[in-house]
Amino acid sequence: MFIRSFSTCSKFSKAACSIVQPVHHKVKINKLKLTPRFPELKYEKNDIRSPRFKPTVTHQDRVKEHYYNTLQSDLLLINYKHNTSIVKGSKIRKWDGSSPYHINRPPARPAGLTNETPDIKPISPHNIPEITGIVINCYVSDSKENQLLPIAAKLQLQQITGVKPETLYAKTDVPSWGVRRGNPMGAKVILKGRPLSQFISTLTEIVLPRIREYKGIRETSGDKNGNIAFGLTPEDVKYFPEIDANHDLWPKTFGMHITMQTSAQTDEHAKTLISGLGFPFTNTKRAL
Amino acid sequence: MLFTRSLATKVTKPSVIESAIILSRTPIITQQPSKLESTYCAYQRELERRLMWTFPQYYYFKRGTLAERKFLALQRGPVSKLPGVFYSKGVPDVRGNRERNAAQEIVLPLEQQSEDDPNESDSASSSHNINRRILPNSRITKADECGDLKSLERRLDKNLYLIVKSNKTGEWSFPSFLQNSKCKILHEIAESGLRELGGDKINTWTISTKPCKALVNGEKVTFFIKSHILAGKFEPKTEALEFAWVAKDELKEKVGDKYYEAIGFLLN
Amino acid sequence: MSSRKINKLLLLSPAKALGTNTAISTTSTTFIRGKRTSSKKKTSTLSPAAQRAVTQLSVLSASRKQPKLLKLCNEDLIKHQTIQTCWSEYQKSLREERANRLELQYEAMNEAMELLQEIAPDLYALANEGDESNASKKKRFPLEIRVPTDYPPSNIWYYDYKPEVSNDKK
Repeated sequence: MFIRSFSTCSKFSKAACSIVQPVHHKVKINKLKLTPRFPELKYEKNDIRSPRFKPTVTHQDRVKEHYYNTLQSDLLLINYKHNTSIVKGSKIRKWDGSSPYHINRPPARPAGLTNETPDIKPISPHNIPEITGIVINCYVSDSKENQLLPIAAKLQLQQITGVKPETLYAKTDVPSWGVRRGNPMGAKVILKGRPLSQFISTLTEIVLPRIREYKGIRETSGDKNGNIAFGLTPEDVKYFPEIDANHDLWPKTFGMHITMQTSAQTDEHAKTLISGLGFPFTNTKRAL
Repeated sequence: MLFTRSLATKVTKPSVIESAIILSRTPIITQQPSKLESTYCAYQRELERRLMWTFPQYYYFKRGTLAERKFLALQRGPVSKLPGVFYSKGVPDVRGNRERNAAQEIVLPLEQQSEDDPNESDSASSSHNINRRILPNSRITKADECGDLKSLERRLDKNLYLIVKSNKTGEWSFPSFLQNSKCKILHEIAESGLRELGGDKINTWTISTKPCKALVNGEKVTFFIKSHILAGKFEPKTEALEFAWVAKDELKEKVGDKYYEAIGFLLN
Repeated sequence: MSSRKINKLLLLSPAKALGTNTAISTTSTTFIRGKRTSSKKKTSTLSPAAQRAVTQLSVLSASRKQPKLLKLCNEDLIKHQTIQTCWSEYQKSLREERANRLELQYEAMNEAMELLQEIAPDLYALANEGDESNASKKKRFPLEIRVPTDYPPSNIWYYDYKPEVSNDKK
């Protein structure tokens, strides 16, 4: 079928970047890599000559060991389903080209959604769910009055996890909350590798069992992409051994949101994995 | 083509369904690191200590307190640089009470650990004492020493699997049960059969309803169901039944080579 | 934020940052017997809250805490690189062994399900749907399965298990 369009030649003759001198490149050049002045900065982070070098394998990783010895093959068996095929996610929809106006029209959004959802592939030995990271987010709403609180929140995360956190800043002005753009509002840390395992064991073996009437992570938790989140109140944080041992240094502790990032494709698979690491779950529904 | 294929299925199609249970006890302690692993970890730990930041003692021990004085009294402190002195180990570079060219050595003041431990060695009284010295339990248990294959408290760092000795053939294998009228579903056959064999004082958790392996033996097909033991113990109702809890390497010696080849990869 | 920045912040708005401690401007000369007057040991002008923040910042910061960089000679560097190569080869062999075993397990599972489908379609349907058939009882690992510890607990195994007498069937 011949589709009449307005013009096709302009599309193909366009260059990807400006060819008029002087050419302004869109690719940023890292001049640190070009200069001969700091040769050690060019090494990878895991190279011993780099100033950023930090040894990682300092002790046995028992959470990882548990995953490889027990959980991995169990999860393969649990999540496996015979005779399944790829479940397509909803994608952006291209116009069919029945009208010349379709040429430059942006594609339609996925049906009923704003963003595309990924395909769900059947489980195989290559995509067994695995915990990839933990993000601890500590937003202190009182810091709009007291600018010193984000510092304490940052130190709290550093003491609990042993990893240097980064400060969170308010992104926008919210006059009704008294939040102003650019103000420090809390701290955040991303855990990977051994600090991640250490944090999981501290949480499941020391902190969560000491919380009074702890009911477990909500069954409704999850963002549909296999990331499970839950929260700890300021009182719960006091049970961390690092805070508990120096409680006179911590007149005020800060609650935090903990997001567990997994490579699972659905929340159900992620929850099965997380329960295997020793986190309890509840069946209680969120009160509406 | 069509004829031969139908014939083939007719020949191989088994009619008797059997369900076997791979009952495992998960490891209780971490695996014994190999020599390479422990040496490498020690090397990395030394590097980490060398590259560690200076300990911020002023944060943990407030200035001018008794705790600070106790802490400082225990520290050896760095060698300071003096003019006209030859230092065989290199000129000291001290900053913040730390030698920058070496790992910082911190001696922490121990809490009031009862020095008169031997006097009050009663286990009942010392278990309530918070300040008691914590001694880790041995990684090798009594059952390990006397080689008691029926105990669940042996080979703590490995997965243990339950195997039973067949009365007819005298061969070791995973306990397997024939399909009967009472239960038909594979994992229910396995679980109820296990309780008929070894009493119901056993808590198990079936990993999945799906079989992990099918072993065809003439007319009979055995489907393997994986399960974990959580509590309780396996006590055979008949005295004659021999059973053992074995790790993978011991299982290889007990069962026949052919059987191990078929199921060995299912075990960790 | 550095401690210098904090000081600046305090200079700009002392009343706000110091909170209750706004008595700086009051300069009444009252003499107290026994009070240290030497200028050598200067008392901090910061409020306790700000002083604590300064300490916290200095705990977080790398300044005056970093050791000298490692300067390995060529021989040591080659030794280190050999160790690293050895370790990564070892890890690779472990990884491949694990992947191989999982692959075999997957194939065995697939074959078993295909055979089951052929000889007992009803059992196959129950087994394949099994874990998701009752939505209220989702598949969760029991809390008894624990991450292994370095040393065994005093009570290694719980033997006195009694099955619950309820309609809940295992």
